[in-house]
Amino acid sequence: MWKYLIEKEFKQFFRDPMLPRIVIVFPIIMMLVFPFAANMEVRNINLVVVDNDRTDMSSELIEKCTESGYFRLKKICSDPREAQRMMDRNTVDAILTIGQGFGKSAVTGDGFPVGIKVNTVNGTKGSIGSQYLSNCVMLFMQSRAGADVASAAGASGAVIDAAPKYYYNPYMDYKVFMVPALIVIAVTMVTGFFPALNIVGEKEAGTIEQLNVSPVSKTAFIVCKMIPYWVITFFMVGMCLLIAWLAFGYVCKGSLWGVFLFTVLHIMVTAGLGLLISNYSDNAQQAMFIMMFFVLIFMLMSGVFTPVSSMPEWARVITYANPLRYYADAMRSIFLKGSSIADVWYDAAGLLAIGGLALTWAITSYRKTS
Amino acid sequence: MENAIEIHGLTKKFGNFTAVDNISFTVRTGEIFGFLGANGAGKTTAMRILCGLSIPTAGGGTVAGFDIVREPEKIKKHIGYMSQKFSLYPDLKVWENIRLFGGIYGLSGKEISDKTAAILSRLGMEDVRDAFVASLPLGWKQKLSFSIAMIHDPRIVFLDEPTGGVDPETRRRFWELIYEATSGGVTVFVTTHYMDEAEYCDRVSVMVDGRIEALDSPDALKRRYGVNDMDAVFRVLAGRAVREE
Repeated sequence: MWKYLIEKEFKQFFRDPMLPRIVIVFPIIMMLVFPFAANMEVRNINLVVVDNDRTDMSSELIEKCTESGYFRLKKICSDPREAQRMMDRNTVDAILTIGQGFGKSAVTGDGFPVGIKVNTVNGTKGSIGSQYLSNCVMLFMQSRAGADVASAAGASGAVIDAAPKYYYNPYMDYKVFMVPALIVIAVTMVTGFFPALNIVGEKEAGTIEQLNVSPVSKTAFIVCKMIPYWVITFFMVGMCLLIAWLAFGYVCKGSLWGVFLFTVLHIMVTAGLGLLISNYSDNAQQAMFIMMFFVLIFMLMSGVFTPVSSMPEWARVITYANPLRYYADAMRSIFLKGSSIADVWYDAAGLLAIGGLALTWAITSYRKTS
Repeated sequence: MENAIEIHGLTKKFGNFTAVDNISFTVRTGEIFGFLGANGAGKTTAMRILCGLSIPTAGGGTVAGFDIVREPEKIKKHIGYMSQKFSLYPDLKVWENIRLFGGIYGLSGKEISDKTAAILSRLGMEDVRDAFVASLPLGWKQKLSFSIAMIHDPRIVFLDEPTGGVDPETRRRFWELIYEATSGGVTVFVTTHYMDEAEYCDRVSVMVDGRIEALDSPDALKRRYGVNDMDAVFRVLAGRAVREE
């Protein structure tokens, strides 16, 4: 009986005008477009400089800032009000004010009359921009003062040189960080929505009744609905890994078995949830909206975009019920750090618990008899 | 021989609404039993209970010898069901639908291919074996649907308005299939609102507002109400309805 039901699901999947194409196109777009487009690195910060000093020193500082590649110099002016107007009109993001006597004080070492003003309407851009800018100024001061500062520092005590060393992602490349997360998102979207819409589709067409009046067991029905999505998802994950390797040269540091094991567990959760929702909805719209609701919350609260550890206490507690938290964490650990399955056993345990619950609930709530 | 269906005091309520109101009847093995009633009289609800798709609020009975409340899954092995909403898979081909339902009812691969050949030749549909069911005319779909409902040789077959929306000639041919089936001993339980079809039945019941108002052979009913055809019988009885559609 199982054989025939699985056969049916596969035939229907491949005959659907949309689904096979989505499965091919979706991972490609996820892997090739998002790492470039949805990027947390801040570049192209528009800068205006108010230079009241007009010495070699000040123009050297300006050059230092612009050659970093993060800033785009819009204008050098001498009227601070003009610079402020430019910021008000949103043509610049940051103002660097170089006070009079900058060149002189650089020589005497009296501290530098430099001001930084940043537009923080876009919080991320603002705060990162001001950091970059002050880094530039600091570096300039250090290189300038050179021996003077070193001797002065020697007199005032020890110089603490805190140079962080980055592990696992040495260049702090946002793309490396996002690739496993994008796989997580692609898998969640496909396995969450497809099974839900599938069952609701059978409800709408009335074909589900023909099965309900037959001796098909509930478990057979649900599991046979899930198996095709397992196969499809493996294909999709394989494709994502291949694209990551071809396009970015990223390879999974840990074992692929680990990736696939966690994917199996995660599908159990999302497909179980999808089936569960479809049991309680009468039409595709309902199922879509409810699924959308959950998937959005899962994603935003999963640590995929923002770290779980920086969430407030109450939010962190909620994330323990979020399957995506475990899957994203495991995928990143395996992909970036090369963790073994034993290293991330708690993620497996979390997924297994939530998945078991969702699937059992889906099977028990599916009623052949109303 | 025992009765195919025995029902007593069957009631189904949805909230305050009583869809089926304390009905009792028996269907003899091998007969064609017509289950008539206006739209909204409760026919489909009652039929869904008999098929194990719905649990009654009160009352009970047996279908094919199994209890409708306690053993619905056992009933499902021995009945065929054709719903008024056409329910084969439109995106599967004709032979694939036959194969799927054959497989679901536990037929072996060999039985399935034998059945497929037999069904296609009986319906004269060998040429459309590889056509998608969605592309077939309604009359063909209904005949195919009926044959698939019979694929596991059930003891009872339930037909819920099987001939809705097709012309009289197609309907007549459909009934030939039903007669062929009963000659093999199967019990047919059929709902319809075509009164010419009611004449084909061995016995009919007429449901009004969730209750069975009359149950007898078509001839006996016509005599009782002093009219010439089932149409008139139906109008007399259905005229008593209080409930709106």
